[in-house]
Amino acid sequence: MIVADRKQIPELRDMIKDFDRVLLVGCGTCVTVCLSGGEREVGIIGSALRMSLKLIGRGDTVVDECTIERQCDDAFIDALAERVQEYDAVISFGCGVGVQALAERFPKTPMFPGLNTQFMGLLESQGVWAEKCAGCGRCRLGEFMGLCPIARCSKQIFNGPCGGSHDGKCEVNDDINCVWQEIIDRARELGMLDKLEELAQPQDWSTYRDGGPRKVVREDQCIAGMGPDAEEGVQ
Amino acid sequence: MAAPLPNMAAVTVDGRTSQVPIGTTILDAARQMGIAIPTLCHYRGMTPAGACRVCLVEIEVGDSRRMVSSCSYPIDGTLVVHSGSDAVLEARRTVLELLLAQAPDSQELKEFAAELGVESTSFSAAREGRCVLCGLCTRVCNDVMGRGAINLYGRSSERTVEPAYDETTVQCQVCGACEHVCPTGAIDLSRFSSELSVAHRTGYDKYLFKRPNIEMAHAQAAPRVPTIDRENCVYFKTGECGLCEKVCQAGAINYDQEEETLDLEVGAVVLTPGFIAFDATKRSEFGLGFCDNVVSNVQFESLLSASGPTAGHVLRRSDGNAPKSVAFIQCIGSRDVGCGNEYCSSVCCMAATKEAIIAKDHDPNLDVTIFFLDMRAFGKDFDRYYQRAQDAGVRYVRSFISRVFEMPDSKNLQLTYLDSKMKRVEEEFDMVVLSLALVPSPTLREKSEMLGVDLNQWGFAQTIDLNPLDTSRPGVFVGGVFQEPKDIPDTVMQSSGSAARAMSLLASVRGSKVRTKAPPPERDVTDEPPRVGVFVCHCGSNIGSVVDVAAVVEQTRDLPYVVLAEHNTYTCADDTQDVMKDRIIEHRLNRVIVASCTPRTHEAIFRDTLRDAGLNPYLLEMTNIRDQCSWVHSADPEEATQKAIDLVRMTLGRVVPLRPIREQSVPVKNSALIIGGGIAGMTAALTIADEGFPVYLVEKESALGGTAKKVVVGTLDGSDVQAFVSRLAERVSAHPRIVLWTGSRVTEINGHVGAFESTIESLDSSSVSVEHGVVVVATGAVEQKPTSFEYGNSDKVITQSELCEKLARDDLRLPSSATIVMIQCVEQRDEERPYCSRICCTTAVRNALQLKEQQPDLNVVVLYRDMRTYGFREAAYQEAREKGVLFVRFEKDEPPQLTVTDDTISVRMRDLSLQRELTVNPELVVLAAPIVGQDDRQEISDLLKVPLNGDGFFLEAHVKLRPVDFSSDGLFLCGAAHSPKLISEAISQACAVAGRVASILSKKEMPISGQIAQVDVNKCIACMTCVHLCPYHAPAVGKDNKAEVQNAACMGCGSCASGCPARAITLNNYTNDQISGAIESLLWAGSPPSSPGPIYPEKTGISQTRWHKRALEGGDQEADSDQ
Amino acid sequence: MKNDTIVLALCCHYCAYAAADMAGSMRLQYPPNIRVLRMPCTGKIEENYVLSAFEYGVDGVMVAGCLEGGCHYLEGNLRARKRIERVKGILEEIGLEPERVEMFNLSSAEGPRFAEISTEMCERIGKLGPSPLRADRSRLKAGIEELQAEADAVLEGEKR
Repeated sequence: MIVADRKQIPELRDMIKDFDRVLLVGCGTCVTVCLSGGEREVGIIGSALRMSLKLIGRGDTVVDECTIERQCDDAFIDALAERVQEYDAVISFGCGVGVQALAERFPKTPMFPGLNTQFMGLLESQGVWAEKCAGCGRCRLGEFMGLCPIARCSKQIFNGPCGGSHDGKCEVNDDINCVWQEIIDRARELGMLDKLEELAQPQDWSTYRDGGPRKVVREDQCIAGMGPDAEEGVQ
Repeated sequence: MAAPLPNMAAVTVDGRTSQVPIGTTILDAARQMGIAIPTLCHYRGMTPAGACRVCLVEIEVGDSRRMVSSCSYPIDGTLVVHSGSDAVLEARRTVLELLLAQAPDSQELKEFAAELGVESTSFSAAREGRCVLCGLCTRVCNDVMGRGAINLYGRSSERTVEPAYDETTVQCQVCGACEHVCPTGAIDLSRFSSELSVAHRTGYDKYLFKRPNIEMAHAQAAPRVPTIDRENCVYFKTGECGLCEKVCQAGAINYDQEEETLDLEVGAVVLTPGFIAFDATKRSEFGLGFCDNVVSNVQFESLLSASGPTAGHVLRRSDGNAPKSVAFIQCIGSRDVGCGNEYCSSVCCMAATKEAIIAKDHDPNLDVTIFFLDMRAFGKDFDRYYQRAQDAGVRYVRSFISRVFEMPDSKNLQLTYLDSKMKRVEEEFDMVVLSLALVPSPTLREKSEMLGVDLNQWGFAQTIDLNPLDTSRPGVFVGGVFQEPKDIPDTVMQSSGSAARAMSLLASVRGSKVRTKAPPPERDVTDEPPRVGVFVCHCGSNIGSVVDVAAVVEQTRDLPYVVLAEHNTYTCADDTQDVMKDRIIEHRLNRVIVASCTPRTHEAIFRDTLRDAGLNPYLLEMTNIRDQCSWVHSADPEEATQKAIDLVRMTLGRVVPLRPIREQSVPVKNSALIIGGGIAGMTAALTIADEGFPVYLVEKESALGGTAKKVVVGTLDGSDVQAFVSRLAERVSAHPRIVLWTGSRVTEINGHVGAFESTIESLDSSSVSVEHGVVVVATGAVEQKPTSFEYGNSDKVITQSELCEKLARDDLRLPSSATIVMIQCVEQRDEERPYCSRICCTTAVRNALQLKEQQPDLNVVVLYRDMRTYGFREAAYQEAREKGVLFVRFEKDEPPQLTVTDDTISVRMRDLSLQRELTVNPELVVLAAPIVGQDDRQEISDLLKVPLNGDGFFLEAHVKLRPVDFSSDGLFLCGAAHSPKLISEAISQACAVAGRVASILSKKEMPISGQIAQVDVNKCIACMTCVHLCPYHAPAVGKDNKAEVQNAACMGCGSCASGCPARAITLNNYTNDQISGAIESLLWAGSPPSSPGPIYPEKTGISQTRWHKRALEGGDQEADSDQ
Repeated sequence: MKNDTIVLALCCHYCAYAAADMAGSMRLQYPPNIRVLRMPCTGKIEENYVLSAFEYGVDGVMVAGCLEGGCHYLEGNLRARKRIERVKGILEEIGLEPERVEMFNLSSAEGPRFAEISTEMCERIGKLGPSPLRADRSRLKAGIEELQAEADAVLEGEKR
């Protein structure tokens, strides 16, 4: 799941204070689950935003809200198309993907982000979300007992732990569990400690962001005339 | 102006017109219209005299205006009145200034004048004193009381109120009516009568202060109906007065009511007569009743109560000042051989501790000292509370106080005690609180023969330890303190248990006397536009005298969707209810607002009215314009009226989106699953089965009996526990309605109250699934083997339960004059285990007595911290001391030292009363080891999702009020799994569970409140938030990957609805549109109360844009519609 | 100056609402600016309710629930406290005094406490003055007339 959190109201207010009609669009998937961009949160922000505008003398600004099923698919965005024309600007409460999807679909409407998209992660306990995956493009979780040192080790070490691991915690911050401690504990539990004796090879980062924006292409799924032309595979 | 009806007069007050019966005074007419006119010498129900002139108003006579006193001017035709004109205000000011000069010493008058804006008088004082010579007192004495004891004498500045010849008179009956009615506090009764005026004190405030003759038993009395004290009522004594009848507008006073005797035929009787406080005159050396600043603990509690006579402020009766120091003296009349009360009252130690904490909360600088003998904090979490009191600075002094000495001037109280160094100390306190014993009512002693039940030597119902609920007469059961002094949780348990015993007896005739009401079919209003009826209540003068009810109706009548608005004198009266039903039908109302009192008492009544008129009961909402408006803003009628108007409009915003709610019910599986086959489990099983319900009893061991089977030999009263356990086990095995699994565990429980499904797995791993309506946890507790005092290193160091076993098997084999040392509180009441195991003191005394009986020459020494032989067990403690058992106290920080060398044990301790070291070389040392929860408690806790407390015992829903329920419905708890307890208490608690369980199992279907959460599956994204938030585990993500709420488990708090990020959950009767409707219409921010849309729009396609309500105002889209 | 501010009191059914009733039966006087809206539990109070109340122009919001540890629904009041803290944060962000909203705890037996907190809240809001977001109260009448027409139309439609 993509995890995001909300922006401060003054920042949002300043984005849109020069527009007369603004639409807030929530997204019903990841950001609803992580309690930042669903119907309830958009309602809260909407209310706060209207008050905030009124307090700077822009109380006549129309700020409306709606939530769509998923912002990362045109099929759901299309339902908005007719109404979006009525507005001068839109704030998307989707993740960064949602904002861009809306921006691309509505070229004539200024588009703003309502959230700060944080990471891919999951709920640790009610109200706490933790990062779990860095999206490196070359998954090696099998080597590390299913726990990712890229996303979860402060130093991204492949042969840990480092000297900063103490009582299962990371030297960077006591709130961070040392993932290497967890990897070793889990290996012990699984009777696979010997696997960790082998030296882990350095990561081939070519699949990460170094090669520019990435794309995944499935030739067999492409519909004639619509897919990219090349045999590029993964870039 | 409309012409008046016959016998009616039309009166216009300050521009508002009303019709009143001819002869009504201007004052009464104005008050009925909600217009306040100040009065001084007016007293409702008495003939007005117009003496004080404060109530002056202007009336129009032809073209001119004239001043009249409104209290005495009758309206006989059309009349126009001005109550607040400049001329009136000016005249009133002059009147008040004159009155102030007349009675310069009256504080009451000064405050009254100040409220009307007159702070001082420009006239010089005409005389001294407080009397304004209004004559109200003489009128009440002559006209109402028929006495004529006082009159106005003299003229001009000589004029006074006095008895004839200014002497005290026998004509005065010292009723105090003159003092009561006097508006300026001028009456001194001792001038009128030589008889001592005794304040009428009642149980309402525990006899602390003066109270009226007519009142309720106490603030929370049920029924909330006042009664007249006939002994003291003037009407009953002389036939005069009768003022209350005139004042009561509801006409509820009936002097002819007589005590009635009803003959009832019943199948069982439960005795719960409770107790009275010890008569402190038997211990007059403590000064209760003589010294003003000595109060009983019950009185002190009343002083602490926020709703008590002093609004929670503790004050001395001698001078009304707040005390700086308070001393509690414990055991007044308890543990007192001299008064024949050899028992302990069980509750006073904790009650005093609680009162001390509350008093310190209220005034942190207050010094509180509790003088006690033993601190009997034996119940669940009591020791923690005791510790909390000490941390809060409450001083505990272990010393016996023998008398209270009142200092003549200061009225302080001097106590003499021995401090911890055994030094004599004299100390003064501002206030003394006596912890009075709980004693049975003496009238019961007289009636016991009629009841046919045996009482014990102290007048409590005689029961035996293994049958604590049955009196000596079959079919007559007992609950509460009448059986033995006990606290609230124990009382609740025992009484529920007695109910269960009665139900077992009456199982065959259950429900045979129940009559049910058949309401008319419910009208389907779902497609109708809202048609709102508003009923505004005067509540006699309770609302009407402050709030202008007619104005509320006027302001409401034209609001959207309102088709009818009217006002009624008493909306809850039977005849008004009939009118309401007619109106609902006649006007096809489908939403009803009742603006009256609190829904907490009247919602049920009006819901019934709607139901009787064929409307769904949830189409009602009440507006509280009495408790939260007229009563609390009586000084500001104008604002109160505006507020009432706002509140009704706010309610309208909530009422329009109301939807009918169909109350569902779930079929009940009328059987119980009981986990644990000890004494508690078996007793619960048998009682439930006897009530007529099937029981599944699961015991993990191979045989029934639990902990009791292994250790206990007999109870304090000599009952044979082993025989009892065997008998229970035989009955359980043979009972046709009990299915027993031994050597088995419950591995899975699903479902909710009324419909659980569980898996029971036996040792050979075969499993079976059963369906049942409730679950009872009776898993018990065990003795924890100690690790201290060389336990395990010497066979001469054993635990109390091991001693029990040895005594049972008779293999002690001690020399006849051997010494046995018992050490109490081993590895408990310390930092690691900060609780008391409750049973050890009693066990030690019991075992000591048995040892002494078997071998009288044995030396038994009990080393203890506090002897917690509560209730009647105190008598056994007394007996043990008489038989020569030595009790030596030690402090927690100075425990006895035990050393084992070769074959000799040496116990060294410090005797605190002798202040010296003692050493004993006993042949046997017995340790009171702690009682702890079973090893599998966490497993059970996880299985049922029920909590454990910090000490490892299961945590009930409410310590006092729901002691055998878990907070989730349908789950119950009894026996030592709840906390350590004696067998008799475990039996009571097991029966209590049987009683509570029957309230569910006796129903074929269980109604579920309509106020439950519902999930809109179209919006649910299965994010699990509701599952995490619900304290009752009601929502779960079901087969379709959508949240589903189990209706029967939902308690209707709305936690899930308020947390749902997709707003997919609504709480019926508190939906978002209902709440925002109310908020919007309070300020009327521009949107209409929205009429209810479809509850669940059909799912029509993939693109579901949900336009939030705001976005709709401009457009023509519909809420929740799909684009 | 006359304090004509409006304070919305969101009271839980089991404690605060009962305490308000008790204040009534004890005839305790407190300022009439309070408007009580009953909630099943303070745990049902969403941030939206409080924010929309301010948006519509109330001058203050008082949330009153059971004593901590004494919630009829176990922990609704603890959740409410956190939500109210969050609302305070949002008010601060937009430049409205966070003191305009406050959470109180009291038991059903504390009538005097209800009068006390109501007085405290009314006085506090009186000092802060009307909310800058407050709608002109004259709108009330216009609003009602407009809506009346609308409701009439609905009812009229039904007749036809």
